[in-house]
Amino acid sequence: MNLSTHIGGLALENPVIAASGTFGYGEEYIKAGDVSWFGAVSIKGTTIAPRAGNPPPRTCETPSGLLNSIGLENPGARVVIGQKLPWLARFSVPIIANISAVSCEEFSELAGMFAKSPHVSALEVNVSCPNVKAGGIAFGTSADMCYEATRAVRKAWKGPLIVKLTPNVADMRAIAKAAVEGGADALSLINTLVGMAIDIHSMRPVLGNITGGLSGPAIKPVALRCVWEVSQAVSVPVIGMGGICSATDALEFIMAGASAVAIGTGLLIDPELPRKVTQGIKEYCESRGIESLQEIVGAAWR
Amino acid sequence: MDLRQIHDVDARIVRLSNIRGNLYSMCLEAPEIARTAKPMQFVNIALGDSTDPLLRRPFSLSGIHPDRGTIGITWAVVGRGTQIMAGWQAGRSVRVLGPLGNGLGIDRLCIDHGLVLVAGGTGIAPLTPLASQALEKEAELQVFYGARSASELLDTGDLGAACMVHLATEDGSVGFGGLVTGLLEARLSAGALGNGRPTVVSCGPKPMLNHVKQICNRHGLPLLVSLEARMACGYGVCQGCVVPRAGGKQGYYRVCTDGPVFRAEDIELGECTG
Ligand SMILES: Cc1cc2nc3c(=O)[nH]c(=O)nc-3n(C[C@H](O)[C@H](O)[C@H](O)COP(=O)(O)OP(=O)(O)OC[C@H]3O[C@@H](n4cnc5c(N)ncnc54)[C@H](O)[C@@H]3O)c2cc1C
Ligand SMILES: Cc1cc2nc3c(=O)[nH]c(=O)nc-3n(C[C@H](O)[C@H](O)[C@H](O)COP(=O)(O)O)c2cc1C
Ligand code: FES
Repeated sequence: MNLSTHIGGLALENPVIAASGTFGYGEEYIKAGDVSWFGAVSIKGTTIAPRAGNPPPRTCETPSGLLNSIGLENPGARVVIGQKLPWLARFSVPIIANISAVSCEEFSELAGMFAKSPHVSALEVNVSCPNVKAGGIAFGTSADMCYEATRAVRKAWKGPLIVKLTPNVADMRAIAKAAVEGGADALSLINTLVGMAIDIHSMRPVLGNITGGLSGPAIKPVALRCVWEVSQAVSVPVIGMGGICSATDALEFIMAGASAVAIGTGLLIDPELPRKVTQGIKEYCESRGIESLQEIVGAAWR
Repeated sequence: MDLRQIHDVDARIVRLSNIRGNLYSMCLEAPEIARTAKPMQFVNIALGDSTDPLLRRPFSLSGIHPDRGTIGITWAVVGRGTQIMAGWQAGRSVRVLGPLGNGLGIDRLCIDHGLVLVAGGTGIAPLTPLASQALEKEAELQVFYGARSASELLDTGDLGAACMVHLATEDGSVGFGGLVTGLLEARLSAGALGNGRPTVVSCGPKPMLNHVKQICNRHGLPLLVSLEARMACGYGVCQGCVVPRAGGKQGYYRVCTDGPVFRAEDIELGECTG
C-alpha cells in the first residue's frame, strides 16, 4: 500500500503532518513521540522579530474543542533558522516553515531569510492567525491582500509554497483562488475559528487576549466543508486539518479532497497520534484493496 | 536511538479511594513512569475516549514507588474532569502521560541548613515524595501545612512520625488558627528555625505562594515554588501554560516544561494564572 503523496512539489512518504503551533520546533515533542511517523512537520509560526506572545490565560477547553490565544510566541526568524532548524533537520523529516508577517515587505524579507536555509522543504504562509492584532488574519480575509502577500513570498522563495487559509470569511473559494493566482503551490486549511469563553464567577472573558482560536473536534465539520469546497475550486493540492483525532477523521478529509492532513490539537492530547492515524489509514486501504492513497483523494466528490 | 523520556501508558488503577469530602487518591500501575519520576513532577491523565472533555488533566505525583512500579496522585474534585475521575474504580485502566515537568530531586537542593516545606490544600501531595527523599538523606525537615478546616487536611501519616509537621486551619479546628503563612511567619520571627538559612519549597494556591515569597524575602531564605497553570499539552509544545518572567526579563516561561518548580525570584507570581 503506497501512502506517499505530493503537495505542490513536495513529496511526502506519508500524508500526516504536524500542524503549526502544536509541535513547537520538535525539541519537546521528541521526548514524547516519534517524529518519523510524520510525512512532514510544520514549525511554530515564525516572525522576523521575536515575539513574547499574549498574556495568560492562553488556553480554554470548550465542548470537544480548545480555544487558544498564544499570539505567535516565537524566538524570531534568526534564531529559528540559525538554531532550531539545523537541530530539527537531523530527523530527516521534511520541514515546513510557517511564517507570519504584518506587511508584504516583511513577508518578502522573511521568505528571503528562509530561502537561505538548506533545511526548509516548503514555506507555509500564515495569512490566518486570529491572535495577533496587526497583519495575521487581515491578509487572509481579503482576496486582494492574500494575492499580494502570496506574490511577495513567491518572488523571494522558489520552493514549494503553501498558503494557510482562515475559515473566518464568507467565501473561502475566492481567497483560495487569489492565493493560487499569487503563486501558491498548495493550500493549508483550516486555521482556527475566532471564538471566546466567559467565566461566570469573575464575569470576565477567560482568555487574557479576550478572543482566541477554536480548534479540535468541534471544528471538524466546518473544516471538512472548507476542504470539500476549496479542493474542487482550485487545481492545487490541499492540506486538510481541523479536529483530526483518528484515522477515520483523516480519511474523511482525504475523501473531501485533501492530499495530506495535519494534526494539531490531537497532538496535544496524544503524542502518538501520528502513528495511530498513519497505521489506521493503511489498514483501511489494505482492507479495501486500495493500492495508493491517490485513489481516494477527493473520492467523496469525484 | 529512542529519545523518549515521556511515556503514554495504559495504567491500571490499583486502588482508588475517597479520602473525605471532595478529596480522592489513587494508586496507578505505571512502572515506566515510576522508574524515572522525580518529586514534584506530574502526569497528564486522559479522562476517557470521548472528545468531551477533550484535554487531559494534570496531577502531581503524590507517590513514586519504583520498587512496586506504582505512582500515586491525590486530587480535589473541582469540576467535570475531576468528578469523572472520582467515579473510576480499581481495576480499570487509564491513559497516563508522564513523567512531566522539571521536578525537583533532593540532589538539586541545598539541604545543609535544613529544608522547610510549606503546603496549602492539595499542595501537600507533591511535597510528600520530596519529604521522603529528604528524610532518607537525614535532612532537618519541617513541614508547614494549612487548609481551610480540619476536614480538608490530608493525612500526613508517616511524615508526622518522622519530622515536625506544623498544622494550620483557617477555622482553627486543628493546630494554629489562621493561614499557614501566619504560622510560618510567627515561627520564623520567634527564631524557631534556628540561625541557618533553610531552603523553602512551597506548593499551594497562588495567593499563598505570594505570601510565602514575601516572608522568605524578609527572612532572606531561598525559595522554590511549584506552580499550576491552565495546560493544554503538558509536554511543552503548545506554549499555553505560561508565567511571566521576573527581574525585568521579557517574555514567559512554560509551567509544564520550564517548571512547574521555579526559583521564586525568576517568576512574576502576581500575574500567574491557575
Ligand atoms: C502541574 C499541575 C499539577 C497539578 N496537581 C494537582 C494535584 O496534585 N491535585 C489536584 O487536585 N489538582 C492538581 N492540579 C489542578 C488540576 O489539574 C485541576 O484541578 C483539574 O485539571 C481540573 O479539572 P476539572 O475538569 O475537574 O475542572 P474544570 O471543569 O476544567 O475547571 C474547574 C476549575 O479548575 C480550574 N482549572 C482547570 N484546569 C486547571 C489546571 N490545569 N490547573 C489549574 N486549575 C485548573 C478552572 O479554572 C476552574 O476554576 C494540578 C495542575 C497542574 C497544572
Ligand atoms: C495551541 C495552538 C497554536 C497554534 N499556532 C499556530 C501557528 O503558529 N501558526 C499557524 O498557522 N497555525 C497555528 N495553529 C492552528 C493549527 O495549526 C491548526 O490549523 C488548527 O488548530 C486546526 O487544526 P486542529 O483542530 O487539528 O488543531 C495553532 C493551533 C493551536 C491549537
Ligand atoms: S501546556 Fe502546552 S506548553 Fe505547557
